[in-house]
Amino acid sequence: MSLVGVVIDWLQATPLSGAIRESDWLFPAIECAHVIAFVTVVGSIFVVDLRLMGVASKARRIDELIAELLPITWTAFGIAAVAGLLLFVSKPVTYTQNFFFLGKMALLVLAAANMGVFHAFVQKSVAGAPAETPPPLSARASGAASLALWIAIVAFGRWIGFTTLG
Amino acid sequence: MLEAFAAWLGKTPLSAFMAGQGWAVPSVQTLHILAIAVVVSGVVILNLRVLGVVERGQPIGALAHRFVVPSTAAIGVLLVTGLLMIASEPDRALFRTVFWIKMGLLAAAMAATAGMLAGLRASPAWIDAGAAPPPLYKGLAAGLLLAWIAIIIAGRWIGYTEGWPGSPS
Repeated sequence: MSLVGVVIDWLQATPLSGAIRESDWLFPAIECAHVIAFVTVVGSIFVVDLRLMGVASKARRIDELIAELLPITWTAFGIAAVAGLLLFVSKPVTYTQNFFFLGKMALLVLAAANMGVFHAFVQKSVAGAPAETPPPLSARASGAASLALWIAIVAFGRWIGFTTLG
Repeated sequence: MLEAFAAWLGKTPLSAFMAGQGWAVPSVQTLHILAIAVVVSGVVILNLRVLGVVERGQPIGALAHRFVVPSTAAIGVLLVTGLLMIASEPDRALFRTVFWIKMGLLAAAMAATAGMLAGLRASPAWIDAGAAPPPLYKGLAAGLLLAWIAIIIAGRWIGYTEGWPGSPS
């Protein structure tokens, strides 16, 4: 058995995994925390994406809007990630064999990469720019890619629930 | 009456379509969640602004101007996608107390938001970012954040509860 397989089997055998799996209310309760946190992540990211695309919040400077909303996004992301990890721990064998779970993780990596490219290269081009300045093509592309990736992440996440029943 | 409605809805072509296509329910649920994200972004940013946590340099009126229309439109999407989910399985949500708690909380939250915005419109904080909103509205903003958390929990719980005794579900 591969090392990953050993780790996954060990995880599934932990008391934490069993507790979440066997409880009637723990999984749905953690799921609620996950949903509340990730709709906040996705919603706040959409606000920034639409600003980068020049669609909404056009009276706000891009760098100021990002500085205001990033703490909300990261706080909610932390909660969503911890809750998501607990959901994963309840059935790691099932999830690591699920196409939509693996796809969602891959899309999250792409979204992180897109964000990294934005912060490393694109953000400089909009820093200090007055609100009236139309966003450059690179900023619009970053926003559009982020919007598309997060829509796909939500869709893949919802499909996990329909393909891991039983 | 509710049972007659559920029985009627279950015989419509819309119900047959929603129940018959494997991709229809997850697709509609995905749209429902994306619309929740849009509503929640407005709810979180607007109410945290009233509480003085974010966007302190912006007058409340400017934030209402940015977020009220998209959030209200998203609630329209939520009603349509919610109805499609009910059509897919008419006996599922309608006969569960938690569904009606959710609808009651939603109506109360929308009315409270409208009341809060009407009250704030008459206060200096509407156009002056430096003016503090009256404490009553800060309390209301905190209550609205909690109400939306409760709405999401109630929504998720529809899938985990039983229907009323004797109901079709």
